[in-house]
Amino acid sequence: MGMIGRVRSQTADASKFVVDWMEHRTGIVTLTEHFLYEPVPKRGAWLYTLGSATLFLITLQFLTGILLLFYYVPSIEDAWNSVYYIQEEAYFGALIRGIHYWSANFLLAVIGLHMAQVFFSGGYKAPRELNWVVGVILLLLVIVLAFTGYLLRWDQDGFWASVVGMKIGSYTPFVGGATIHFLLGGDVVGPATLSRFFALHVWLLPAALAPFIGIHLYLLRRHGVFGSEFEYTERLAKLHENQRLEEYARYELDEGEEEYEDGENGYGDDYGDRGDYEDRRS
Amino acid sequence: MYDVTTGKARPVEEEIITEENVYDRPDETIGFFPGQVLKDLYVAFALLVACIVLSYTIPAPLSDPANTASVDYVPRPEWFFFFYEQMLMFFPGYALISFGAVVVPGVFVVLLMIVPWLDRGPNHSPLKRPFAIVVGLLVTVTVVLNMLLAVSRIINFPGQ
Repeated sequence: MGMIGRVRSQTADASKFVVDWMEHRTGIVTLTEHFLYEPVPKRGAWLYTLGSATLFLITLQFLTGILLLFYYVPSIEDAWNSVYYIQEEAYFGALIRGIHYWSANFLLAVIGLHMAQVFFSGGYKAPRELNWVVGVILLLLVIVLAFTGYLLRWDQDGFWASVVGMKIGSYTPFVGGATIHFLLGGDVVGPATLSRFFALHVWLLPAALAPFIGIHLYLLRRHGVFGSEFEYTERLAKLHENQRLEEYARYELDEGEEEYEDGENGYGDDYGDRGDYEDRRS
Repeated sequence: MYDVTTGKARPVEEEIITEENVYDRPDETIGFFPGQVLKDLYVAFALLVACIVLSYTIPAPLSDPANTASVDYVPRPEWFFFFYEQMLMFFPGYALISFGAVVVPGVFVVLLMIVPWLDRGPNHSPLKRPFAIVVGLLVTVTVVLNMLLAVSRIINFPGQ
């Protein structure tokens, strides 16, 4: 029994030491506490899962995308074969490619719902305008990601859909011709196009997507979700006011006792440093 | 603020707020953890299960290897481009395609970006911003209708 008690207290001491050590050097404990226990509106909780579902699906995209890269070969001779190998031969290849494909499909649908929810609840209103703009940028990036991913299979569907897509893009006034020529790496969809779409799909666009997700989340945390923020700040302010009054009352009591003791020393009437004391305590 | 249905005895102004009940109001807030996190995890889990099940029941498609010489292959965009493809049908010919394919969507994207500055009123409630809501519904209906049109076209004329 004494043994268990000792182990317990030693474990508690050790974990306390680790937590303090990390907190002192990184502030991670305060940060975690801040992130985890932030009050959020209860009323829209299920609606707000649309945003986190988007984040989850993008995470799935990143993870399965990395795994697909272990086998995928971005050349016109091998691209289709490598995708076929992933689908038919590789360990869990069908699952990994399936998750990449289906989570991409869900992603587009969930983003649509997420946008609709924010639009119809007026979530873009001041001071959250910029988060809406960042959201639209994220939508556009995801659409381009979806488009560039289609060609990488190098099958009939992906190939000819990309040909049509490039054709449509070339009708863009003024810049269309040059932009499409750059994307194709020539005049027609060919080896250079596959390389460029590959570079865009696995490097440039994810790299662009990540910081915008960061900004989106930062702004979300800064302003809170739609509208309800003010309700709980008011409530928290009221709690702190109550606690202050309570503490004040308790202090008053202590002070009374002290006053009685200190009376002989002539400090009884000195309330001057009370505010100071209060500050140091809180 | 004061929700009769939750049986709260007092309106929020009179309630005594303590450490325990500060996030308690059922009509107000929950802690991000575990309240919101749990709900997020339920949804994420459901999506993951759906993806896994679909991976095996409806495997990710892979058609024949690309044949650059074939001239009669009719490509299908993915479903989320259906409405865009369908919209192009309304802008036939070389004179209009640039307008329909690029200018109209471009204007739409710009309008989408500046939505917060187009609807600047102080009200959040959908009931108090009829104009924004009607426009939003029209856009939604247009997109959905175009998608349905594209689907019906694909079903009715598989080869085109």
